[in-house]
Amino acid sequence: METRKVLIVDDDVDLCDSLKAILEKAGYTAATATSRAEGMEKMKTERPDLLVLDVMMETWHDGFEMSRELKQDPELRQTPILMLTSVEERTGVQVKSSAGDPDWLPVEAYLDKPVEPDVLLAEIGKLLESA
Amino acid sequence: MRDDSLAQRAYWLIRLRWLAALSAAAGTFVCARVFGVALQERALYGIALLLLAYNFVLLVLLRHLTAAPGDRSLRGVTRAINVQISADLVILTVLLHFSGGIENPLAFFFIFHMIIASILLSVWESYLQATLAVLLFGLLALLEYSGAVSHHCLAGFVTHCQYQEGPYVLGTFLVFAVSLYLVVYMASTIAVRLRRAERAQAQANERLRAQDRIKDEYVARLTHDIKGHLAAIQTCLAVAIGGPINGQVADFIDRAYRRTQKLTAFVRILLRLTKLKLSGVPEMTVFSLSDAAGQAAETVRKRAEDKAIHLSCTLESSGPTVRADREAIGETVVNLLLNAIKYTPEQGTVSIEVRAEDDSVLLEISDTGIGVPPAELARIFDEFYRAANARQIERNGTGLGLSLAKQVIELHDGSISVFSTEGSGTTFRIVLPRARVRRTTASEVPADRHRISVR
Repeated sequence: METRKVLIVDDDVDLCDSLKAILEKAGYTAATATSRAEGMEKMKTERPDLLVLDVMMETWHDGFEMSRELKQDPELRQTPILMLTSVEERTGVQVKSSAGDPDWLPVEAYLDKPVEPDVLLAEIGKLLESA
Repeated sequence: MRDDSLAQRAYWLIRLRWLAALSAAAGTFVCARVFGVALQERALYGIALLLLAYNFVLLVLLRHLTAAPGDRSLRGVTRAINVQISADLVILTVLLHFSGGIENPLAFFFIFHMIIASILLSVWESYLQATLAVLLFGLLALLEYSGAVSHHCLAGFVTHCQYQEGPYVLGTFLVFAVSLYLVVYMASTIAVRLRRAERAQAQANERLRAQDRIKDEYVARLTHDIKGHLAAIQTCLAVAIGGPINGQVADFIDRAYRRTQKLTAFVRILLRLTKLKLSGVPEMTVFSLSDAAGQAAETVRKRAEDKAIHLSCTLESSGPTVRADREAIGETVVNLLLNAIKYTPEQGTVSIEVRAEDDSVLLEISDTGIGVPPAELARIFDEFYRAANARQIERNGTGLGLSLAKQVIELHDGSISVFSTEGSGTTFRIVLPRARVRRTTASEVPADRHRISVR
């Protein structure tokens, strides 16, 4: 079976690189991007099977907007999104409880940072299986 | 007055009117049947019925008005209240006419209308309603006095009719008029004060809510940054655990270590900020700002040399003195210098200058660095704010350094400002009040401390 490809979009370079290493060790192919723009670009060129997405990058809502943009793209909307962020709650925004809301936060799963690698790998495995 | 509270009071007025109509009917019945007063019963019951019917129409109308949004509904409700009170005055006058006119003490009830008007309406509208009441009452008295309309004598209540006795009529009318205007004056004075207090309270609540939102944002931001460092440390170490120590693993261990340093620096500056916010009592001593600046420059000299940056000091040797917390000021200057070095390319220049100026001492730190984009200049002292070009050089900065510097300087009655040209350099200017050259007696020290601690 072909190896599955995961794209990590997070403005924290250390986190991107270490997550990439962990995913590669688990048998995935991984690519990284450190901004929303670079992330959108790589979604098109790398065509990953899954996206791990941060929220706060250049602005505190970059990730939210990127997830919405992706779900409106007929070619990219099928790619499951795993939101990985330490934004717990902004004024009036309950990230955890609104994850999956098609208008507000159309992501397939949500994990809180910092995350145990086992938990992350399990979630990624589950998402790829059901996709 | 706020929209919903005005509407609530309009409903209150309608509830009062149900009571008034029923009381009018009951009062008529008791006076006529129990006490045997000669009353125009049919006319009075008719008025009570009219009042009930008119109140029902008003209720429907008010429901309709309050369903409309915003300003339109507010103006509508105010107008409706004005019309209602005027109509009530007319009805009370008619009631009075059928129950003895000027001889009926029911005329006191006009006072209730005046109080209601003062509570619900603006001051001038209340005086207008009082004038209408006075005119209606005067007209009634005059028409009955002149015989233009018939007088219904309250036989069984008064022994002889007085409606045509000039001095009685005039006296009653004058006292009536003065009473109404005085009631409006008193009630509206109180109402205006209450309304003002209500508004001030609402504004204070709004301010508190805004501050609370800012605090929530602050805490959310702190948590995010701390967890960001922790997440990076954890995953970097996760790579290392279990794997043989090769070049890649060593790199991740090194990265994790550097992130713990950053997290420590973040926590340290955060504690410093918190301490300043909570107590704000600096340890005040008098010292030479030139000496402090010179020491700060020595502290960062190694860092400058590592980047081949020329560190230039222009310090007035006579040394203008300031009264300040030496440690806090020194730390602030060091942090500004480290910032300047960080954002200045190799071979650049960072300079520090101290000079006296009238009552103040100026300290300037200039660099030939990347500068601050003009659009972002106004925000760089904000907590957590980081300019876009600064983020590119240092990805995980705290965004708190300049904010701390500003707080420290302002705590010393000083000011900090920034001048910058993007791409060619930045200057931070600190102005501190000059320590007065005179002997400090022991008794002055506590007074000075007190002044600072209460800020």
